[in-house]
Amino acid sequence: MRVETVWLGRGGQGIVTATYIVANASIIDGFHAIANPEFGAERRGAPVKAFLTISKEPIEDQEPVKTPDVVVVFDDKLIDSMRFAIDAVKPGGYVIINTGKSPEEAKKLVGRDDVYLVVLDAIDIARRHVKLDVPNGPLAGAFSKVMGFPTLESIKQAFETQLGKAVEQNFAATKEAYEKAVVIPPARVDASAKPKGIISTTSAFLTGPYEIVGWREVNKAGAVFPGTSLFYTTGGWRIDKPVIDHSKCIMCRKCWLYCPDDAIIEAWREAEGPRGRKFRMKAIDFDYQYCKGCGVCAEVCPTGAIQMVREL
Amino acid sequence: MTAQIVAPKERKVAQKRIALTGNHAVALAVKMARAEVIAAYPITPQTPVVEKLAEYVNNGELDAEFIPVESEHSAMSAVIGASAMGARTFTETSSQGLGHMYENLPIAVGMRLPIVMGMAVRTYSAPINVWGDYSDVMSMRELGWIIYIAQNAQEAFDTVIQAYRVAEDSRVHLPAVVAYDGFWTSHVLQPLDVPEDEEEVMRYAPITRSWVKLDVDNPAQLGAVGTPEWYWEIRWQAVEALRASLKVIQEADEEYGKVFGRSYGLLTPYRLEDAELAIVAYGSIFGLVKKVVDRLRREGVRAGALRLRVIRPWPGDMFKKLLEHVDKVAVIDRAINHGGPLYGPMAVEIAATIQKPVYNVLATIGMRAIDSDMIYDAVVKIHRGLWVPNTPYTVGLRGYE
Ligand code: SF4
Ligand code: SF4
Repeated sequence: MRVETVWLGRGGQGIVTATYIVANASIIDGFHAIANPEFGAERRGAPVKAFLTISKEPIEDQEPVKTPDVVVVFDDKLIDSMRFAIDAVKPGGYVIINTGKSPEEAKKLVGRDDVYLVVLDAIDIARRHVKLDVPNGPLAGAFSKVMGFPTLESIKQAFETQLGKAVEQNFAATKEAYEKAVVIPPARVDASAKPKGIISTTSAFLTGPYEIVGWREVNKAGAVFPGTSLFYTTGGWRIDKPVIDHSKCIMCRKCWLYCPDDAIIEAWREAEGPRGRKFRMKAIDFDYQYCKGCGVCAEVCPTGAIQMVREL
Repeated sequence: MTAQIVAPKERKVAQKRIALTGNHAVALAVKMARAEVIAAYPITPQTPVVEKLAEYVNNGELDAEFIPVESEHSAMSAVIGASAMGARTFTETSSQGLGHMYENLPIAVGMRLPIVMGMAVRTYSAPINVWGDYSDVMSMRELGWIIYIAQNAQEAFDTVIQAYRVAEDSRVHLPAVVAYDGFWTSHVLQPLDVPEDEEEVMRYAPITRSWVKLDVDNPAQLGAVGTPEWYWEIRWQAVEALRASLKVIQEADEEYGKVFGRSYGLLTPYRLEDAELAIVAYGSIFGLVKKVVDRLRREGVRAGALRLRVIRPWPGDMFKKLLEHVDKVAVIDRAINHGGPLYGPMAVEIAATIQKPVYNVLATIGMRAIDSDMIYDAVVKIHRGLWVPNTPYTVGLRGYE
């Protein structure tokens, strides 16, 4: 038995810790495990992947995981940009996904009917127990439920070793996830079928219109020339998004002043006067391409016109 | 720490299985070896090791002086000073940090100080690449340090303990570095067995304080001027000590095997007895290499492999013996010997040792990932005669061939 897994998420969501916890717990249960995070720019919000292989036998070959048995997705907005990883799951394997969406919607999003789909609102659970948006404890719980290992007891011990704090809260979240995760079995499993793709061992995280070129064509000295950050639409990081109630807004522009990402814009809006006359007026709006959902705007708004609404 | 107890009969010492990253395994070994002075510049690239050690010191689990210096240059200076006072010392660095420390590295050798250093190997800038390859440690080869290369977290743990015993042996008195893959070992969480009773480590590697040190009752000056009349002779002592340390390293490894149940040798051969083709490699990729050997054997190719564990001192005779009967020797190098006779540092040394042309393959530069299929494809090309010796080949470099 050798189970190969890939964990996908964003910097700051605790992906590396999640693999360390599950590996540690599996080792406590007598398995061999190797948690092999991929370190990149170490930037909050940037896509991160980590690998975890668990086996009955000692693992000496540190093979990169190319066609995983399990993919764990921390953020449903990564499914499209990281479709290569979903495609690479072996038929009959598992896709475990953290989302606030319904299992049916999640199924559509994943778009595969030959794998087990495991749906869980890990953010909600983490917020209630740990008071943080770190879905790793709950996802470890969902993993344990569908794989049958590591045991919840061992996960708790692993929390002690790997976190050394907030063990009870994290464990409560894990347990709730274990009970609540919804498992949708595949409509069909063709065990002889090959996965649709493989996870490449290099450059899987390039975003933007780059060309993968050979050593002769790469810029000399690795020089980087002026470009544009337009392609880095950081709006994908959001868990909550700001929504405005225009009737409450007094256009004081405090939100505009405080937004750390220049994501608050003024736009013309059609409005209707008391006698039905239509006119255009300036109104606050959000540039959701770049709004990271930090909630500062809602916090500073003196009239409570902005509400943060769950999006993930 | 929670763990299950694994204590097979043949082991003298009871051990428990725990899960640690390579970095934390090294930190634990340093703690169990009761280092007395630890100096480090706590920033990338070595943070997790010294962070853990700082934690041990802070918690009172390790009675050591932790000196957070302002650069690697100072870190080496501090451990040189502490070691010259007779303390068991530790520091850790890699990459540009080693570069900054470089000026002091030969001083530790000339003063014959048994400093132990950890190194989660990484490449050099530019372009900035904080990821793993062996550029840093390979640039230490001329200096007189003992250089170990560990394959995984377990071995890194075991080797740090062995290194203290070897470095402080009165036949040696030289600094030692324990290198292990940046990220692929340093940040990978793996199971490892560690002694339940930490005192076992001290029994195996007691602090000898036998080296030349400063002592108020017996005043002396260390590291003073060595004029042309004396320098060479003094330095030659270090040269001879490094050569002689081969035997001590071996003894220490065998003894470690008897007490803790694990020993590794100076070189680790795999299915080499009747091999016609050998793959020589070092670090974490050896597991992949062994897999390739098994695959080739299944296909009827008499393949074997050899892992370099100690590259300074160089176990030349052992190489000759192990590779004597092998027709084709392929060396996977993980650092570039820019402009050298072959492009990989170990390929050059192995070719010089066995007096035969070798197949030189560069891989994992700047931590370009490889898998066993890529190694297999390269070795098959060598086996079929598509690649020729004395020519640099690459695995994973785009646009090369
Ligand atoms: S949530 Fe944060 S980033 Fe988004 S608009 Fe409000 S202040 Fe700006
Ligand atoms: S802070 Fe509130 S009231 Fe002021 S402009 Fe923004 S949304 Fe309107």
